[in-house]
Amino acid sequence: MKILIVEDEKALSDSMVEYLDEEGHNCEAIYNYFDAIDKIGLYQYDCIVVDINLPDGNGLDLIRFIKKKSILMGVIIISALNSLENRIEGLEIGADNYLTKPFHLAELNAHLKSINRRVSYGGSNQIIMNEIKLIPDEHKAFVNDQEITLTKKEYELLLFFISNKNKVITKSGLAEYLWGDYMDLADSYDFIYTHIKNLRRKLLKEGCEDYIKTIYGLGYKFESN
Amino acid sequence: MRLLNKITLNLLSISLFIFLFGMVAFYYVLREQVDQNINLELEKRKKSITKELDSAHSTTNPTVNLSEKVLIAPLDKPRPLISFSDTLLFNPDENKYAIYRHLGFVKVIGDQSYFIQIFKPLEETDRLIVRIVMMMNLLIIIIIITLLIANRHSSRQDWKVFYDSIEKINNYDVNSFEAFSLKHSDIKEFADLNRVLLTMTERIKNDYLNLKEYIENASHEIQTPLAIINSKMELLLQWGDMKEKQYKIVADAYEASNRLSRLNKTLILLAKIENRQFPESNPVNPAIMINHQLESLEDLIISKKIKITKRFDDDVTILINPYLAEILLVNLIKNAVRHNITGGELIIELSKTRFEIANSGPPLQMDPEMLFKRFHKASSSPESLGLGLAIVQKICTLYGYKIGYSYKNEMHVMHVDFK
Repeated sequence: MKILIVEDEKALSDSMVEYLDEEGHNCEAIYNYFDAIDKIGLYQYDCIVVDINLPDGNGLDLIRFIKKKSILMGVIIISALNSLENRIEGLEIGADNYLTKPFHLAELNAHLKSINRRVSYGGSNQIIMNEIKLIPDEHKAFVNDQEITLTKKEYELLLFFISNKNKVITKSGLAEYLWGDYMDLADSYDFIYTHIKNLRRKLLKEGCEDYIKTIYGLGYKFESN
Repeated sequence: MRLLNKITLNLLSISLFIFLFGMVAFYYVLREQVDQNINLELEKRKKSITKELDSAHSTTNPTVNLSEKVLIAPLDKPRPLISFSDTLLFNPDENKYAIYRHLGFVKVIGDQSYFIQIFKPLEETDRLIVRIVMMMNLLIIIIIITLLIANRHSSRQDWKVFYDSIEKINNYDVNSFEAFSLKHSDIKEFADLNRVLLTMTERIKNDYLNLKEYIENASHEIQTPLAIINSKMELLLQWGDMKEKQYKIVADAYEASNRLSRLNKTLILLAKIENRQFPESNPVNPAIMINHQLESLEDLIISKKIKITKRFDDDVTILINPYLAEILLVNLIKNAVRHNITGGELIIELSKTRFEIANSGPPLQMDPEMLFKRFHKASSSPESLGLGLAIVQKICTLYGYKIGYSYKNEMHVMHVDFK
């Protein structure tokens, strides 16, 4: 997937490019508003990751520009502004997601994956990873074509793992993905532990390989070759 | 106008007014008394005249009314030309002695000097004086009382502004968004005081807002470097060839910076609630939100074997910002699940006026007042920010809800009274 990253903080932009390139995306980093307008005019991108506060303009205007020109691409806003109004405004003008800084790269990646599925397959697709099959529209999960009953959180967890397979996923990243901001995360690691234990049990029961590796003191890794 | 001048002027105008009335009243009262007195004297004259007329036909000597009597006698010894004195004489009419004022003077008629004496009874006049004094006293007392009452009343009007200002300062809340205003006063001292108070509160408010803005800006600015730190460490963690010891170091640093960013986000949220940056309110159905939250905590509830009892009234809607409603309920529900014991109970009650959530657990080891304090933690877990209930309380304060805690039947009960 071809991604345009518009973020004026070079260090942050570099991190995103590095993480996403490793995931097989083709990222291009742009550091200001007008360069971004030029790029969008010249090339075709699948998705744009845009910061709201740019040195020479507003990221929201960039999104309005894209929508006005009817350019088809996924839009993810990353911003330090975290009010509901900003969020609503961003989503209303056509952004797919709104992430507040600081965010987890794994979460950005998961959102990009979901946009990728929508862009590439029109959303009505399946995610297949070895013996695991997910149907995102129906929130259904299968192992060896046998449906397994997952709670909402377990399903989200599995989707997140598969989106970030072979990556180290930290517990705090998981907690924030599952419960969002403003949750006092005390005991959340116990919650996560409970969720993962249950998820693993349900997967193994249907003969699924044990992909979920615990990295002591840090988090988890969904390992598949 | 100065306070002293105002008070003097008030007193002066009230006194003038009352004394004017008093004078008129005094005149009529006096007049009445004098009339009565004269009437009495006339009555006496009538009596004596009748007696005299009666006695004209009788042989007995007519009694002489001393007040009309003039005693003329040749001068027997040297006397002063004129002399006043009091004297006690027998009044045959009333058959008793009475006090008379007596005037004796010497008059020369021809070559013979005569000593002439005339009398005037004092009894009636005495009575009149006593009455007048009493009347005067009564009037003065009435005047003083009226003066006091009127003065108090007018002073109260003047001081009203002062007491109003005191009351308003006493209730002054720098966080309040209502404009601070004081009543106008035409008394210089009070107007000065109000002006000083207004300037002072304005300055305090400005300082406070500046400080708050500074903190907010700082919090926002911190977000970007934090985002860089977090992303770099996330990248670092993906390096497969790190030793476990190195992993541990990065992991600890990563956790700490994550905590910092969560803390920062939460503090920004608290500031926003304080600044009322969630103005729009919509009808919210808490029951739906509660069920939704319970669902998302389902796994934990099952693993802790918690028994849930729900008592919801039908069709409960409250007018609140949906986002804040969710934060409020999430924090309370999550708290109740977190601090529940294995096999414990969770009772949630919802009515139009009240939300109550109770969970089993051992009694608190601390002052319940401390529960709502920022950064106060019940558990020692480092992931807890200790801000959950502080947020809940801020939201309640914003909407004027009352939140309270109690411990009964071995259950912790948190309740929120809407209005």
